[in-house]
Amino acid sequence: MNALRLTSLNSDDNRQTVITVDNVKIGEDFVVIAGPCSVESEEQTIKTAQKVKEAGANMLRGGAFKPRTSPYDFQGLGLKGLKILEKAKKETGLPVVTEVTDPRDVSWVCEYADVLQIGTRNMQNFSLLKEVGKVNKPALLKRGMYSTLKEWLNCAEYILAEGNPNVILCERGIRTFETYTRNTLDLSIVPSVKEVSHLPVIVDPSHGTGRLSVIEPMSLAAMAAGADGIMVEVHHNPCEALCDKDQAMPPGMFAVLMKKLWVLRSCMDEINQINGNKTLE
Amino acid sequence: MDLKEIRKKIDHVDSKILRLLNNRMELVLMAKRFKSEIEDSKREKELFDRIRRNSTGLINAQFIEKIYVEIIKESKELQRKDYQLIAFQGEHGAYGEVAAREWNSNLMPMPCSEFSDVFEWVKSGLYDYGIVPVENTLGGVVGQVNQLLINSDLHVVGAVELSIHHCLLALQGTDHREIRTVYSHPQALAQCRYFLSRNKLEPVSFYDTSGAAKMLSEKGPKESAAIASKLSARLYELEIIKEDIEDLDRNMTRFLVLSKEENREEGNKCSIIFSTEHKAGTLFSVLEVFARANINLTRIESMPNEPGNYSFFLDFIGSNKDEKVVKALEQVKEITSNFKLMGCYKERKVV
Repeated sequence: MNALRLTSLNSDDNRQTVITVDNVKIGEDFVVIAGPCSVESEEQTIKTAQKVKEAGANMLRGGAFKPRTSPYDFQGLGLKGLKILEKAKKETGLPVVTEVTDPRDVSWVCEYADVLQIGTRNMQNFSLLKEVGKVNKPALLKRGMYSTLKEWLNCAEYILAEGNPNVILCERGIRTFETYTRNTLDLSIVPSVKEVSHLPVIVDPSHGTGRLSVIEPMSLAAMAAGADGIMVEVHHNPCEALCDKDQAMPPGMFAVLMKKLWVLRSCMDEINQINGNKTLE
Repeated sequence: MDLKEIRKKIDHVDSKILRLLNNRMELVLMAKRFKSEIEDSKREKELFDRIRRNSTGLINAQFIEKIYVEIIKESKELQRKDYQLIAFQGEHGAYGEVAAREWNSNLMPMPCSEFSDVFEWVKSGLYDYGIVPVENTLGGVVGQVNQLLINSDLHVVGAVELSIHHCLLALQGTDHREIRTVYSHPQALAQCRYFLSRNKLEPVSFYDTSGAAKMLSEKGPKESAAIASKLSARLYELEIIKEDIEDLDRNMTRFLVLSKEENREEGNKCSIIFSTEHKAGTLFSVLEVFARANINLTRIESMPNEPGNYSFFLDFIGSNKDEKVVKALEQVKEITSNFKLMGCYKERKVV
């Protein structure tokens, strides 16, 4: 991975990138980003934001611009959605992660959101990557559904090369021959990223599996694999969701997941002590 | 052109009609100030004759007469209500109007094009109150207003410290990505400089913030937006693209409320103006009076009358009914010239 000048891990000091958003430190704390797939209304977004905040989430997710498989599906509320997210932040204090799909929207999304997400379908949209590289908000770069680690890191390289050092990688499942789950969540990528790059990496088990029943075990597995956080789709009333309702977690289930994560967290601390891993030098 | 477009144009005309009607009612309230009686049958007859003569096209005389019967009825109704009027500089939606509404929401805010009009017409009795900005945390002193204050015998009866929050406004349905040009008062443009450059928007100076909003709504220039108050968005039916776009959040303007009558209610703040003799230590001796009386000064400002000769504005916390303040002011009066207590009033802070 010679060409990865900016994303590679420096073997001399093994320095990891830590990205600070308000009081959240991505790459240091285990970060839980939760919220609806898309912003549907003010009520739905704020209600969900309050629920995930109560359960202990650190950041709010929600899409205002939705790149959908079908042009006839709900495309998102656009600017109105961004305003709702801003309001949800005011109400809950949770920093906002939202997707940007069009280079012309990048500066505007920065006015409302704290982290700009680049979706799996746009991972190699180089003009979008360059534009996101020019702003002062962190980027959350999802792995393309057909992409290798090298291709993925090259895309992060595009953002870093434009001057934005704050990129969070996000594994969201890749296409395999398996159809039981929507995608195959590739958790082996997490320790692999850690071996070659200093960038934080989180896991999206909602898109990664597309099945509500396997999101919890895969979230715990992501933490065990050494991920810096997870991103989970939560809807205050999943039956009404306009988008991806089969993978939207109800708030009660999310609260249980959060409890289990904190138990695993102390367990992981103990395991890391035994390893004498990178934190003990 | 399709039905949707035609309806949009109709909505546009309706908004204009509403604003014009409001403007007509404001003039009616002003006219009242010059009339001893509300009824004036001669004027009414003239009015009906004129509209009958001028009814053209699809507007037939009977129809317009019916409308005007209602308008006249409502006008008289408003004149009977005896509204108190407060003048501000700028178009409707100006920050002066925002401050006026905060100070007393029962007063009717009336737009004036110049600061001097506010002073003059409060003095003449056309308006009961005037509200004028004296200083801004980013822009400094509003020189013109302070100059007018020196030469005016109006009383200060109130003050409002208003946090200025600018909004980026555009016509309903504008795609934010297509905005290129932003109209506003140079000071507002300067206060949002980083926002504009971040989003690659070109600032264009306009005489007034709310005036820019009004122009946008009436003329609808392509690829354009305006920077103005949230109130302007409502008055001119514009969409708020982004709120709070000012670069610094400590953007406050202090307004004074003026009246011909002295403030009768208990105040907690006083404003005075004075000049000093051109001699060593004269200003110091004035400040010394306040220091010795333990009176807290909140503002001191100087305006040149001629080079070397200044008027000083001094605000302090205290009531002119307080013995300590009365004594201090007597002492100051003795050692200064052109001394004037502009007023004792209550100050409101609006975040």
